[in-house]
Amino acid sequence: MSGKHKTPMLDELEKGPFPSFITEIKKARNSSAMPEMADDELGQLEKSYNSKRGYWKHGGIVGVLGYGSGVIGRYSSLPDEYPGVAHFHTYRINQPSGFFYTSKALKEICDIWDKYGSGLTNMHGSTGDLVLLGTTTENLETLFAEYSSRGWDLGGSGSAMRTPSCCVGQARCEWAMIDTMDICNTVTQHFQDELHRPAYPYKIKNKISGCACDCVAAIARADISVIGTWKGDIQINQAEVKKYADSGMDIQSDVIDWCPTECMSFDGSSITIDNSQCNRCMHCITRMTKALKPGKERGASILVGSKAPIVVGSLLSWVIVPFMKMESPYEEYIELLENMIEWWDDNAKPRERIGELIEVKGMRPFLEAIGVDPQPQQVYEPRKDPFFFWSESDFA
Amino acid sequence: MEQSELQDKIFAYLEKMKGKKKLKEKDIFKAIMAETGEDKATVKTALREMINVGRVMYSYGGGASSVEIPSEEYLKEKGLL
Amino acid sequence: MALPERQTDIGPPDYRQFLPPVIEKNYGKWSHHEILTPGTMVHYAESGDKLFTVRVASPRLLATDSIRELCNFAEEYCDGYLRFTTRNNVEFLVSDESKLEPLVAALKEKGHMIGGIGPRVSNVIHTQGWVHCHSACTDASGLVKAIMDDLHEYFTTKALPNKVRLAVACCVNMCGAVHVSDIAVVAVHRKVPVINDDAVKKACEIPTTIASCPTSAIRPNPKEKSVTINEEKCMYCGNCFTVCPPIEIHNPEQDGVAIVVGGKIGSLRTDPKFSKLAIPFFYNEPPRWPKVVAAIRNILETYAKNAKKHERVGEWIERIGWEDFFKQTGIEFTFQHIDDFTFMRDTLRTSAAFKY
Repeated sequence: MSGKHKTPMLDELEKGPFPSFITEIKKARNSSAMPEMADDELGQLEKSYNSKRGYWKHGGIVGVLGYGSGVIGRYSSLPDEYPGVAHFHTYRINQPSGFFYTSKALKEICDIWDKYGSGLTNMHGSTGDLVLLGTTTENLETLFAEYSSRGWDLGGSGSAMRTPSCCVGQARCEWAMIDTMDICNTVTQHFQDELHRPAYPYKIKNKISGCACDCVAAIARADISVIGTWKGDIQINQAEVKKYADSGMDIQSDVIDWCPTECMSFDGSSITIDNSQCNRCMHCITRMTKALKPGKERGASILVGSKAPIVVGSLLSWVIVPFMKMESPYEEYIELLENMIEWWDDNAKPRERIGELIEVKGMRPFLEAIGVDPQPQQVYEPRKDPFFFWSESDFA
Repeated sequence: MEQSELQDKIFAYLEKMKGKKKLKEKDIFKAIMAETGEDKATVKTALREMINVGRVMYSYGGGASSVEIPSEEYLKEKGLL
Repeated sequence: MALPERQTDIGPPDYRQFLPPVIEKNYGKWSHHEILTPGTMVHYAESGDKLFTVRVASPRLLATDSIRELCNFAEEYCDGYLRFTTRNNVEFLVSDESKLEPLVAALKEKGHMIGGIGPRVSNVIHTQGWVHCHSACTDASGLVKAIMDDLHEYFTTKALPNKVRLAVACCVNMCGAVHVSDIAVVAVHRKVPVINDDAVKKACEIPTTIASCPTSAIRPNPKEKSVTINEEKCMYCGNCFTVCPPIEIHNPEQDGVAIVVGGKIGSLRTDPKFSKLAIPFFYNEPPRWPKVVAAIRNILETYAKNAKKHERVGEWIERIGWEDFFKQTGIEFTFQHIDDFTFMRDTLRTSAAFKY
């Protein structure tokens, strides 16, 4: 269909080489059974482009029976002007680990969405869910019956465990030290109740990356961050080192000179590594994967606390457990998760993230609650000032 | 205590607190356990049953989730009334 | 018509059913990969099997018909298998090498942007903006479109010293990795919120609203059963608006965007870093934000010209020093650049060794 709104500002954004989201919104009018939704979305957006403000309200009781997560209420603040978006709720589908799909599965999702929603999606949302943008309260139970009966459950939202997410991992990456997709799936299945029924003080996120490249931004964006790593010596294949050199790679300037701990050297034909000094940053391994492989004992570092700036500034996750084996069914990791979350749930104020709570309460109560010893790997340096607490247990 | 009696008490508590404080599940457990002497698991089961049928529902507002009594208007939209 | 029977607490479908056979067979047994072109790569398994990947840009906001079109490509060239990356690119998983070039040609013919692999700009992580968010003070999708139209060659062809990860957040809630991106845009407020006392009285819990302020700028206003805000203390973070929406933080004429730079996610070479403030403010200039686009190009090209191979933006800046970053980019240094909040102690210079 062609729309009822004139959108000269938005039409500008259909020009140029990068794919246009405006073209996408227009397109949804052709497939959705409710073309007025995408059309009024365009109309309201054009108004925003002129007035430089948004016209959305959110929240309230909106969801499917029994759940408190996965559907986010969204309403236009101008429902008379844009009735098609009077209700424009978000429906978050929990994505499969690693964002892998078959065309059959995706088409099935699309067919249902065109019938009961705007036809607009986000592939994917910031947390990882497959996000369906824009439906009505009336259609929610139908959508849930259609999707859940075909195996697609809702994701997290609100004060709940948020949908865990991971990098592509061992499905297609030689650097993945742990099976990120299996860990992600196992954790998601384990915490189904906590994901769908928001009973926590605030959100809590878990992301799993297979190596220090951290492609899922776990250290930046997850309260509980898992980074695959190893113990033991980097495995060197000197024949392959020579092949890299012969093929024209400047091993000294591309690899050796970038080693942050200066633990490597290259004598023109072979590489030597002082593994006792290696901090496992991955630079050398990513530059010459055929010649250098991580050590054989694989596991993960567990870091805790990262979040975006609201309220008292951004945090990156802090190392809590330097090394943990990560083997199916991941009992040790899940027990640690449960202990960390229980401490946070018992102690946090509303809307307080776990990193903020650790700042308020101190690292010691947290480590004691989860049964982890203090270790130098947890800090860049020890404290500078001579002010420190003693607890009765220190005198025992 | 009968499940239905416990649920009536939960409902009455939510009605009493309406507009005063946004309640999390935990707040409800605490108040009802104190009032009735029932344990947490029992209160939780009772509350979750009410949530499953839409007698009370999870809500979201002010940046956090809570449990509330749904409005008639919303129950009509949901086809529950 | 009767609905199918709903299921609860089943979680996501098992990912294994969506993996192409070559991945099932070689799961966890990949040896290495090669980047063939800016948009194609091949992964070699220890078994000798090969898996080709073609990556294309996506606006993230996709219509169902566009997803169907992507699926059609996957059906014709990849036995129906495709995936999305953590940065919202689309990846076609090609098991049959003979189908690689035809797929690339077919995608190009339909106007898809192929690229984003290796030392380049990949898809931009971004938030909902005016398209769908109540707290947005800019439009993230519009900014991304304008920025990527300008930088598209850095996605499809041109190489940089290393990857450059861009992000756009439409408010300081930052539902994207803006605080840890090489170059990012974040929308900011600059004016103290306006309080609608009557609505606050009806809709908000006063103690919760007071507690929401990170600088203790909110005081009770018992006369109105509302709150007041100390203008000198308010940093316009908008957290009070989140907790109590009748506290209106939006100010269309004075809201705009800042540019932050130097963030890094991975631990390669140097530790993960936060992004830091480069430019404190631009007015919103929809539909194409030309000044923001030009400022990002300037930062990106100054980096491209001066950074060493392998250096990320943040690593380059740390090597040359921030004082030299401002000099090289010609960006003005202002009061807003000096931290007077949580990171003040860490960021003020205590050494007399610096550059002019």
